[in-house]
Amino acid sequence: MELVVTRNFGRPESWTLASYREAGGYEALERVLKEMTPEEVTDLIKASDLTGRGGAFFPTGLKWEFVRKDPKTPRYVVVNADESEPGTYVNRLSLELDPHMTIEGMIIAAYASNAERGYFYIRGEYGLSHERVKAALREAYEAGYLGQGICGRSDFNLEVEFRRGAGAYIVGEETALFNSLEGKRGNPRFKPPFPTNFGVWGLPTAINNVETLAAAPAIVMNGAEWFKDLGIGDAAGTKMYCLSGNVVNPVCVELPLGVSAREVIMEHGGGVPEGRTLKGFKPGGASSAPLTPAELDAALEPKSMAALGTIMGTGGVVVFDDTTCMVDVAYRDALFFEDESCGFCIPCREGTPNLVQICERILHGQGTMDDLDLLEELGASMMASFCGLGHFAHQPVRGAVSRFRDEFEAYIRGRN
Amino acid sequence: MLNSPAIFQVNNRADARPYRMAIHHTELETPPGRQPLPEAERPKLETLREQLQPLKELPGSSIEALYAAQELFSYVPPEAITMIAEELNIPESQVFGVVTFYTMFSLEPQAPNVLRVCRDLSCHLAGAPKLIGALEDALGVRHGHNSPDGQFTLKVVSCLGLCDMQPAMLVNLDQHGPVMPDDVPDLLDGIRNGAG
Ligand SMILES: Cc1cc2nc3c(=O)[nH]c(=O)nc-3n(C[C@H](O)[C@H](O)[C@H](O)COP(=O)(O)O)c2cc1C
Ligand code: SF4
Ligand code: FES
Repeated sequence: MELVVTRNFGRPESWTLASYREAGGYEALERVLKEMTPEEVTDLIKASDLTGRGGAFFPTGLKWEFVRKDPKTPRYVVVNADESEPGTYVNRLSLELDPHMTIEGMIIAAYASNAERGYFYIRGEYGLSHERVKAALREAYEAGYLGQGICGRSDFNLEVEFRRGAGAYIVGEETALFNSLEGKRGNPRFKPPFPTNFGVWGLPTAINNVETLAAAPAIVMNGAEWFKDLGIGDAAGTKMYCLSGNVVNPVCVELPLGVSAREVIMEHGGGVPEGRTLKGFKPGGASSAPLTPAELDAALEPKSMAALGTIMGTGGVVVFDDTTCMVDVAYRDALFFEDESCGFCIPCREGTPNLVQICERILHGQGTMDDLDLLEELGASMMASFCGLGHFAHQPVRGAVSRFRDEFEAYIRGRN
Repeated sequence: MLNSPAIFQVNNRADARPYRMAIHHTELETPPGRQPLPEAERPKLETLREQLQPLKELPGSSIEALYAAQELFSYVPPEAITMIAEELNIPESQVFGVVTFYTMFSLEPQAPNVLRVCRDLSCHLAGAPKLIGALEDALGVRHGHNSPDGQFTLKVVSCLGLCDMQPAMLVNLDQHGPVMPDDVPDLLDGIRNGAG
């Protein structure tokens, strides 16, 4: 299979400009600036069906076009590298091993959306990524890929500022990230207005995930059809899937979007450790509801995951074997959301500790069957939350109950 | 949906809280408190003021300002909060809001080596509870506290994005993993000898 965003990972010193250039880096940017108008770039990206790899899978070309069409200036491009979803480490690998590819994608995004300012925002814990990205930005400035008059085009400027977070999952939510960039608490903002019209500092902003931006240069070089055909069925392009949990090889692999969970877990992850059997898996980070081995052949892409009542999410596949207790798994997810809820709205601030308490009751043999119904009711009220965190927080717990109900009941009946 | 009674039902159950207390789980601990700066540290405030000057030109740089303060003092003392508010010309309440929002900032003095151990799903399955226990035993403190020798601060945190190194931890910003309980003595010795 042809690799897109991980193709340089094995090169020596792959994070340097010299190495990136040797591998054909920044040729896409030069082509864009010599041969294409911003409209042509957005049309190309739209035709490629590239969608946001941050988890929402919004069409990327469309987003850039919305920003370009908003008359307010200056417009912004923002790289969202706040990756904090449990079980997910794909952006970290890109930042550490090939920061220039994301930077090139960012510059192409700026050209297409007519933006002249940018932020590269990385979560506070990614120390090595900070160093590599800061060095790469410096190199890009020195080589004339950033700054004033990029590649000799006096009409195209882009000033990029490096920023880091300081530990907060919710800041990955785009509007919370804007508040963080503005030096405020990272609470989300009301949408609409959407970031494309009212982003950082209230100005039009194209905010994208690292993996989304990293795909752009290859699309420019190889064309929209090439990218589209890399995916399976309706899904376009590739996705970095990363494995963890009870799996033999906790690795990250780039595969066609829409590959089956079986291929990811069994072929690339090596399955569960010897002597154990597979009990279930999570398709995409903590927010996704777990699935059973019967669903191993489902395609890991947004539509088929939605049909199964879960989400594609971040591509962080977490594997469970028969030694894992699914009530405990649900409990761990609940704990995560309890701690990461920003506390801004009541359904989530109160709902997430309630999820934890219900799981604790059940784990300690003090739950009742009513608790399982209560979870459903609680989930319904949490749908009134202000942002996606509250909307997703209850899904993994309810999902675990619906697919592994016997384990919950065993605790409740005192047979565990 | 907002008026659904579910939320209140759960809390009103008389039996809700005690179960919570009875359970040992690795709760994240960042007790907020405001430790004033000791007299001997006060001269460093002028260094902080100098470091804040370039940040005045960068709108929205309160996180960087707080990092600067934490690097100088090992934590963010109230005096630094006041100074950052003055120098960056933002309300003190906003700076306090930011410092309490992000988990990497501390309002209490920290040791030179801050250990952050992940307790989320992948690391949990790979043995994070045992790792946390081994660190607590070796350091002689519960997580959330500084070790008696003043060398280590032990924190249990959310996913570090190092799930391929499960169970994973950070020593300041250096990545370590997988770390098994048996690896703990060597790891700590290495840090003590400056190799961390
Ligand atoms: C609670 C929450 C956390 C999120 N965390 C991230 C994140 O860490 N990284 C990311 O790229 N997107 C994250 N998102 C999605 C962003 O809001 C946004 O959709 C994305 O950055 C857009 O980029 P894309 O279109 O390239 O995916 C999060 C969303 C929510 C609701
Ligand atoms: S849903 Fe949760 S994270 Fe989102 S605004 Fe409400 S409290 Fe904050
Ligand atoms: S779950 Fe521990 S680093 Fe991600």
